[in-house]
Amino acid sequence: MPKSDVLQGTLDLMVLKTLHALGPQHGFGIARRIEQVSEDVLKLNEGTVYTSLLRLQQQGWISAGWGTSDNNRKAKFYAITNEGSKQLALETEEWERISAVIGRVLKLEGEKP
Amino acid sequence: MIARLRTLSAKFRRLFAKQESRELQDLEIDDEIREHLQQLTERYIAQGMSRQDALAAARRQFGNLGVHHEDRHETQTVNSLENLWRDIRYGARQLRRNPLFTTVAIATLAIGIGANTAVFTLLDQLVLRLLPVRDPSRLVMVWPEGSNFGNNNGNRVVSYPFCQDLRKSPALESVTCQYNTWESVTIDGNTESLNVELVSGNYFETLGVKPALGRVFSSAADDQVYSGSPSIVLSHRFWEERFAADPKIIGKKILVNNYPMEIVGVSAAGFAGVDPAQSPHMRIPLLMLPVLPVDGESLIDRRTQWLHSFARLAPGFTATSASAALQPLFHQSLEVESADPQFSKLSPYDRNLFFTRTLSVETAANGYSGMRDMFSTALVVLMCMAGLILLVACSNVASLMISRATARQKEIAVRLAMGASRRTLIRSLLVESLMLAGAGVVLGLILSEAAIRTLLAMMPSGTTLVMLHAQPDLRILLFSVVVALATGLLFGLVPALQGTRLDVTSTLKDAAIISGGRSARTRKFLVTAQVALSFLLLVGAGLFAKTLYNLKNINMGMNNIANLVMFNVDPRGARYTGPTAQAFYKNVLNEIRATPGVTAAAFSVVPLLQGYEWSGGINVVGHQMKDGEDVDASNNIISPEYFKTMGIPLIAGRDFTDADRNKGQDMAHIPTICIVNRNFAEHFFGKESAIGHYAHNLFRDEPKFQIVGVVENSTYRSPREDADRREIYFPEYEAPMVLQATFYVRASSESKALFPALRSVIAKLDPSLPVMNMKTVDTQLDEVLNTERLIASLSIVFGLVATALAALGLYGVVAFSVASRTKEIGVRMALGARKASVLWLVLRETMILVTIGIAIGIPVAYVLSRYVESQLYGVKPTDIATGLAALAVLAAVAAISGFIPARRASSIDPLRALRHE
Repeated sequence: MPKSDVLQGTLDLMVLKTLHALGPQHGFGIARRIEQVSEDVLKLNEGTVYTSLLRLQQQGWISAGWGTSDNNRKAKFYAITNEGSKQLALETEEWERISAVIGRVLKLEGEKP
Repeated sequence: MIARLRTLSAKFRRLFAKQESRELQDLEIDDEIREHLQQLTERYIAQGMSRQDALAAARRQFGNLGVHHEDRHETQTVNSLENLWRDIRYGARQLRRNPLFTTVAIATLAIGIGANTAVFTLLDQLVLRLLPVRDPSRLVMVWPEGSNFGNNNGNRVVSYPFCQDLRKSPALESVTCQYNTWESVTIDGNTESLNVELVSGNYFETLGVKPALGRVFSSAADDQVYSGSPSIVLSHRFWEERFAADPKIIGKKILVNNYPMEIVGVSAAGFAGVDPAQSPHMRIPLLMLPVLPVDGESLIDRRTQWLHSFARLAPGFTATSASAALQPLFHQSLEVESADPQFSKLSPYDRNLFFTRTLSVETAANGYSGMRDMFSTALVVLMCMAGLILLVACSNVASLMISRATARQKEIAVRLAMGASRRTLIRSLLVESLMLAGAGVVLGLILSEAAIRTLLAMMPSGTTLVMLHAQPDLRILLFSVVVALATGLLFGLVPALQGTRLDVTSTLKDAAIISGGRSARTRKFLVTAQVALSFLLLVGAGLFAKTLYNLKNINMGMNNIANLVMFNVDPRGARYTGPTAQAFYKNVLNEIRATPGVTAAAFSVVPLLQGYEWSGGINVVGHQMKDGEDVDASNNIISPEYFKTMGIPLIAGRDFTDADRNKGQDMAHIPTICIVNRNFAEHFFGKESAIGHYAHNLFRDEPKFQIVGVVENSTYRSPREDADRREIYFPEYEAPMVLQATFYVRASSESKALFPALRSVIAKLDPSLPVMNMKTVDTQLDEVLNTERLIASLSIVFGLVATALAALGLYGVVAFSVASRTKEIGVRMALGARKASVLWLVLRETMILVTIGIAIGIPVAYVLSRYVESQLYGVKPTDIATGLAALAVLAAVAAISGFIPARRASSIDPLRALRHE
């Protein structure tokens, strides 16, 4: 099965959700989680995760700090902020609304006279 | 929106963060990524791949490192700033590549911006700037309107007792008063004439001006006893200039009018006074007046108005509400005044006028200046003219930009084709225009400083405008930058919009430049506007030049004033009394008359054309006054031979003689005779002779003065005001107090050669007396006409500059049109068109543009010229001759600028023209 490209703008949402669901993570962990959840449907250039993390930091939705990874290595950990949680709720709602609309529009085909 | 702002702020934080912290951040991300790749690789190795394959797979999964790096860079940097820098470098390259265009554009802008900055600098310093005092917006000036039928010295003046009354009002927090005068001051044995401000003791407290050294005056110390506080506060500027800012100056004794006084302090730096056009050297307490024999002013007389009164509004009051609150106080003062016995002489009509006077309260946040009243209208007119110049300059540069944009169509088309957005291109073109404007500002500021220096040099020397300076300060810089931004957008936007609206394919395919429609039309429109604006400026220049000419050549009643030398001496002070001063004057006249090269000499007490005036109501015996009849006449006291010296013709009767001196009434030798001018004689006696009739002061029947002569009208204060002035002259008499004298000397030839001889006469008779204001009456008249000279010369310069710019614009348009029509003209000539008809073809285009421009200019000039009517003299704002002259100048200039390209067109070789391209 061919993999789909990550939709523009959705990566930020996925990163935010991952941090919300799993708590503080480093970049590698986030990439693994998205890979695992997407069940190999999405083609993710893992480098883009870091650009996404930068963007989210600029907005103040996540914070960063140094910690120790599972295999005892020093790694940078990212955590969602309160504001980030609010933003996630907002964007999730928005996403669901839009995908519902798109879903309905795409179903219209069958009703052709 | 908030998200975008946040991103931007994060970007700026990074931009202004320390280099190390930025580098550290980048290193951390690199570390993270290396770690990430490492873990991916390890995972693939664990799945059984070879190390090399695992590495490649990890790389694949991570994506292109370079692209990610770029993405992150973009996320973190402020793109517009980087692009701006790129645009600036690109613009600078473009401007360097075309030095002629750049030079012409910058020079044109510099002229426009320089003219505006220069006029604005003067306007700002004289009119707009607030006084450097505490809370200037609460400062007001208070003065009574209307005639007090008493003594007045200047405009907006109050009496000292009334100024003290004002202090009782709850509407005013504190009230101060001041008087400007010039006094002989002796410092270390050298006597000079200095600008001294007499101030009430609370002057500095009211204004909130602190001492820079020592103390300033206070009510407690300096406002209590007449002549009780012989103390001086120096102005900061004078302290620096005359005493080199000596900190040990406190306690130094100097002589003011030969009276010893002590320097007690220096006022704060930057504070010049309440009159923006004056810069007093020092201040002394008003109560020291008795030791300074300032003529005719008094500290006790309510009927003598001579002080300017400034006050600070009490909390809760505005100028309007304070004015209402002060009226009852003012009317009490009027009641007191009306007890004066002179009042019985007033007609019911005049009594009514007197009692309906009101008190004015006006904001004085920027001080008060008689000079400003005189100049401000002129400066506003000049500011408008400078604005027009800037418009002409802008349209000229816009026109240049359009022609350049046309020449750059290829380059722009290439950039568009390579994917530049139109917005990007417009931005980079605008950056270019703003760079031109920026260079224009720098050059303009230099020009403006030179221009102001020239202007200030034209102003009266010594006495006035000493505080004005040419160096631009922050306000001026800000003004020029705003002007430059506005001009840059004004002349840059249209060409940028037009130049980027291109059909890329056809422009790239076709080698020929599309000279086309729209941009040519815009340029023609701009040139027409330039012609119209130049016409306006030329008409203005013509009107003002004519005004100056009229005022300068008005029949002043005197002949050949270039050969008339004048100078003042001021023997008031301790050493002279009335009689000894009179004897001194007689000696001076005798000595001067014996000097070779002198044909006549005389003196008068009131100097001419120096702004002084001594006037009062004069009636004649037997004349019944009508209600509202103006009987004001200017007074003067003169020596014999005054009229002969001045060259004023005697119409009837006789001049005063030596025998008339001191042959007077009573002990005070008040004269019994007078001479009047033609206006006076005609007002009271019509065609009949005035000789033998008696004149008297409006309020007193005695003394009476028999009219012994009638002289031609002549000037007194300024040629603009003197046409209807009545004058009455009295012979010199032995007054109890010293009268000031201005000597007039008629030279037989070169008058300047007499200056040293005249100085040595005074030096011989009294070496301690300074000789002041020695110059010819012609020079004095020039100084009186300074406003007119300022407007006339500036407007002529403005008019000519505008015309030159319009000519340049016209030439540009026509030359460009000839160049793009070369082929067409070649065809016409090949088909047999003669040179003359080609010449006409091109000239006609010029003519049409100029005609339209003038057709627009004439009605606009007609409407606008009314606003300058108050500045004109002897010429109507709708003067036909001036309009025609402006027309002729424009037509001639247009003909020349059209003829050059026309001739080039007519000498086109048809063969070469057809082969062209």
